[in-house]
Amino acid sequence: MSGISETVMSFCQWASNSSFGHGVRNSAWLFPFVEIFHLLALGLLGGTVLIVNLRLLGVRFQKGPVSELARDVQPLMVGSLVVILVSGFFLFSSEAVKMFGNGPFRIKMIFLVLAMLYTFTVYRKVTMSDESEISPAFRKLAAVLSLVLWFGVGLAGRAIGII
Amino acid sequence: MSIHTFLEWLGGTSFSLGLRDSTYAEPIVETLHVLTLTVFLGFAILLDLRLLGVSMRKRPASEVLDQLNPWLIGSLIVLNVTGVLLFCGDPVAFYNSIFFKVKMWMLLAAVLNVLLFNATVGRKIKQWEMDYSTPGRVKAAAIVSLVLWIAIIATGRAIAYSLPPP
Repeated sequence: MSGISETVMSFCQWASNSSFGHGVRNSAWLFPFVEIFHLLALGLLGGTVLIVNLRLLGVRFQKGPVSELARDVQPLMVGSLVVILVSGFFLFSSEAVKMFGNGPFRIKMIFLVLAMLYTFTVYRKVTMSDESEISPAFRKLAAVLSLVLWFGVGLAGRAIGII
Repeated sequence: MSIHTFLEWLGGTSFSLGLRDSTYAEPIVETLHVLTLTVFLGFAILLDLRLLGVSMRKRPASEVLDQLNPWLIGSLIVLNVTGVLLFCGDPVAFYNSIFFKVKMWMLLAAVLNVLLFNATVGRKIKQWEMDYSTPGRVKAAAIVSLVLWIAIIATGRAIAYSLPPP
């Protein structure tokens, strides 16, 4: 376990000492500037995830198959995820070593990895396949799990600033 | 009674002091504000992208509007209520922040934009909703909406940075 810990710590140190780590940390306005992109992308990601989940739960956008809705918002979801990851990395770099020891941050990263893994495997299968192949109960479960995972990322992220 | 007198009075009420002194009140209200904002922003962007003819083109615009509206209105109400609560926590400090003032003006502009859209081009939505390219005025309303909401969030974030330390 300590081997992994050491590797992660060296990664945090590398990020922190990098030119962008220095750049964001030492600038008065760069952190808030990058953070805005992070928040806006978060909004769009939240919207696309929520809209598909509401469809799976049978609450909204009942017309048409779920796969059509999922395909429609797919580019927006992926695009916003890319912006979130890139902006998040820059924010992380500015205080990487501190984040290493930060409880909520670690929880956020765990939820993020789980959410992404889940979204691009099981969830993708549920949303993109024919309606008849998946039972309504399973669809709802898939939606709830998606919401829990992404909500977990958001809530943990919020806690970083507080706890 | 001037605005300043009113705000100072408000800031001195037990309600306001309670919010300010409580360890949990402000973080909880602010978290609710920010998480609700995620929902509102997400759906507003999706609606505006549809009005621009960029996303969900095969769906009639009125369907997208009708499906998203209840959530947009609901989340906007929660945003306003939590926003008022946040303001009550430190009325004088917020009022003195230029970012807060700018945010409020832009919020007003955003709401007027929505009302204007609903009163004009929005009424004839059934006429243009299946057009491959939405009318110019619809696109304009969508762009104004996007720009304003983004700016509102940016100034909102700036408020936190600009407030004096407690």
